[in-house]
Amino acid sequence: MNKKLIKFTLNDKEYKVEVEPQVLLVDLIREELGLTGTKVGCGEGECGACTVIMDGKTVNSCMVLAVTVDGKKITTIEGLAKGEELHPLQKSFVEEGAVQCGFCTPGMILSSKALLDENPNPTPEEIKKGLSGNLCRCTGYAKIVKAVEKASKELNK
Amino acid sequence: MKKRGVGLANMWYGIGNTGLPNPASAYIELLDDGTVIVLTGCADIGQGSTTTLAQIAAEEMGVDIEDVRVVSADTGITPDAGATSASRQTYISGNAVKMAAKEAKTILVETAARMLEVDEDSLILEDRKIVVKNDKDKFVKIKECLGKCRAEGKLTLGHGWFNPDVTALNPEDGQGKPYATYAFATQVAEVEVNTETGEVKVLKIFAAHDVGKAINPINVEGQIEGGCMIGVGFALMEQVKVDKGNIKTPNLATYLIPTAMDTPEIYPIIVEDPEVTGPFGAKGVGEPALIPTAAAIVNAIYDAVGVRITDLPVTPEKLLKEIKKERN
Amino acid sequence: MSQLKVVGQNVKKKDVKEKVLGTAIFAADIKMDGMLYGKTLRSKVPHGIVKKINVSQALELPGVHAVLTEQDIPGVNKAGIIVKDEPVLVGIGQRIRKIGDPLAIVAAETEEIAEAALDLIEVEVEELPAVFSPLDAMKDDAPKLYEKGNIMAVRRIVKGDVAEAFKNCDVIVEQDYTTSMVEHAYIETEAGVAKMEGDVVNVWVCTQNPHYDRKDVAYNLNIGLNQARIIQTTTGGGFGGKLDVTVHVHVALLAKATKRPVKMVYSRRESISNTVKRHPFIMKYKTGCDKDGKLIAWQTEIIGDTGAYASYGPGTLTRAAVHATGPYEIPNVKVEAYTVYTNNPQAGAMRGFGVPQVAFAHESQMNLLAEKLGISPLEIRMKNAFIPGSITATGSKLEHSVGLKSTMESAKQAAEKVLGDKF
Ligand code: FES
Ligand code: FES
Repeated sequence: MNKKLIKFTLNDKEYKVEVEPQVLLVDLIREELGLTGTKVGCGEGECGACTVIMDGKTVNSCMVLAVTVDGKKITTIEGLAKGEELHPLQKSFVEEGAVQCGFCTPGMILSSKALLDENPNPTPEEIKKGLSGNLCRCTGYAKIVKAVEKASKELNK
Repeated sequence: MKKRGVGLANMWYGIGNTGLPNPASAYIELLDDGTVIVLTGCADIGQGSTTTLAQIAAEEMGVDIEDVRVVSADTGITPDAGATSASRQTYISGNAVKMAAKEAKTILVETAARMLEVDEDSLILEDRKIVVKNDKDKFVKIKECLGKCRAEGKLTLGHGWFNPDVTALNPEDGQGKPYATYAFATQVAEVEVNTETGEVKVLKIFAAHDVGKAINPINVEGQIEGGCMIGVGFALMEQVKVDKGNIKTPNLATYLIPTAMDTPEIYPIIVEDPEVTGPFGAKGVGEPALIPTAAAIVNAIYDAVGVRITDLPVTPEKLLKEIKKERN
Repeated sequence: MSQLKVVGQNVKKKDVKEKVLGTAIFAADIKMDGMLYGKTLRSKVPHGIVKKINVSQALELPGVHAVLTEQDIPGVNKAGIIVKDEPVLVGIGQRIRKIGDPLAIVAAETEEIAEAALDLIEVEVEELPAVFSPLDAMKDDAPKLYEKGNIMAVRRIVKGDVAEAFKNCDVIVEQDYTTSMVEHAYIETEAGVAKMEGDVVNVWVCTQNPHYDRKDVAYNLNIGLNQARIIQTTTGGGFGGKLDVTVHVHVALLAKATKRPVKMVYSRRESISNTVKRHPFIMKYKTGCDKDGKLIAWQTEIIGDTGAYASYGPGTLTRAAVHATGPYEIPNVKVEAYTVYTNNPQAGAMRGFGVPQVAFAHESQMNLLAEKLGISPLEIRMKNAFIPGSITATGSKLEHSVGLKSTMESAKQAAEKVLGDKF
């Protein structure tokens, strides 16, 4: 099979892997590299559970071919905490009770991170808009919005 | 034009299975170092039962929440707690855990009473100590007391099971006592209806829920908020379309659920009218959270535009049609 | 009682750290050495008799380890929470009752091979006339899904004499209501992995109901209850939809047959298309009160389409019947609730269990009555609300913890603070 060698940075680590052209980014991350924090809720670009950050922007990794990440920088949920130290968003999600089942959480946190990187002081409306591609069936989003507000304050300190 | 309206709705909800036995059980072991393991069949599906049960165990055993580990929902290890359904786990498994904790601490209390030379009745467990109720300077640490228990060859284990007090419904006239206790709630919704498009935006929901006792208030709020949004979906958008047995909305692009953009301001209000048979007065909240929402929204829509929809969901097309009818 | 120390505190969820770190293991995240992937072949017709299932070609496909049909089930080939009416696999000569009924299961080295194997299974079905509306299904000449007929259960609640009482009402409102079929849409689809360990089958699965799952696995594998170990994985929401078995028995059968771990993960489409839904209800309400707004008579008829199999259907309709009158004290009540089979997707438990549907109706009724009487929606509710000592429609006395008036007061106060006087 015509495997292609790609190089990319994942959570600040360099990777060189051979992938088949039809392999999806989400499968590369989950199946080949074993990082199962990235979830699959639909496989059709509708739920945001598979959200990762690629060169500063969120993508649904179920809609991206792995070969296209050649030369790019990817962040998954596993790349957020610094050792034992949680990222301020992870901390605020814990403190605000923004996590129930947790299946949407990795994608939610990454979308929130991309949002705050671009807009450090979002209004609740802007947060809702920024997270509108991430479905959560448990929380009703209320505490998630609060958690993002809290983290934004923390990050701006 | 955009018109606003306010609607109110009540609900009641019986905790546990209807008119059927539905017991739950739990085991507790108090370990040498004063930490606790709870074994329960109760499946936490994100609502937080593991944490709730840990709180109940910690309270009853007088230890810190960090001291309690809950092992749950593994039929090879944990006893049957029935289903995580019918908003029953806080009430039923909560009681089972409390009873197990009570049993586990009897040996402890009996031993401590001898150590302190007081009556067992005068002792309470708190802050990892066994304390004389009326003379709080007089106590023995749980860990020390456990040392004594072990030296005497005594283990500190407990089991408990609880079955709510119900009777079967008479098949002829449905008379009976289907539930041991009920949750109650009132929700008020404020909506804004766009009379040109038929679109409804829910602006605010005030959700007051009588949960008996909130074991973990922030988790109760989470249940209320999440429930409200399932209610918003039920009221305004959700519909599995079926044609000759075939589902025509088989993905999340065709079956729409609320997104963050649909979230109104939700004001969860916890009302505590304690249930004497519940663990620390608790009942349940999981399902009640969503029950009155759609009704409150529909009543609010009527208040806004004078149109009463009797067929859910209230899609923009449906509402617009009725608004036009009303105008003519 | 001494001061509570832990109860009543906002304790952080015990498992929350793993969840924000992305290290919590959900069923789809499990990987084991030698693990195979399972897929399910499903019926495309809503009603019929299976005439032929030929798996020989599928078995020959390289990478396929097992293709199982009904004949390979050692046990009862039945599942179901309340009534065991649901086949684990529909076999030759047996009846399909809905689109999506499972006919065969495959275990293969990869998901792709398993998928390809499904295409190689030949199936012939003799189609039967089907019925898709519960109202049609209740008619005598409707195609019957079961010998006993399509009315699965009827629940009646009778208190006092409604016919007589309606004569004494000053105001009566009559209205029909309907609600839609609703999907749980938990973000995690159904998934599980099974592995034999000696004579015990371990099933790691997302579930709300491990001890019940154990029964269905054991009875279908024909092993002891102590040989079926269900281990709940971190579960991505349930809302009632993860009470019934889905992948559970299938992965267990495949693991037993192949002696390898077998994993199944439903795609979103497979999940929505084949798992239980919220019952769509058809409801008739007639409610009457005196000129002061005191409820006197209440009559409700509910028809719930439970689809092809019962699942939690009769439980849902029973609960709906009990709650049909709302939290109000009424001397004369008559409720009839029908659980009806159709060839539609099956409905089961969903958060609220029939009560969101009836709440929509009873709370609409209350507003209709208030309007006719010229009193406020809050006032009519306050007049009739349950209080300690109230007798429900099933004749039970509410002794304590009846906080309804408090919830009304609290909700009103909170809303007034923000919205001004609206009540
Ligand atoms: S799994 Fe990628 S968007 Fe749902
Ligand atoms: S917490 Fe369950 S889907 Fe968001």
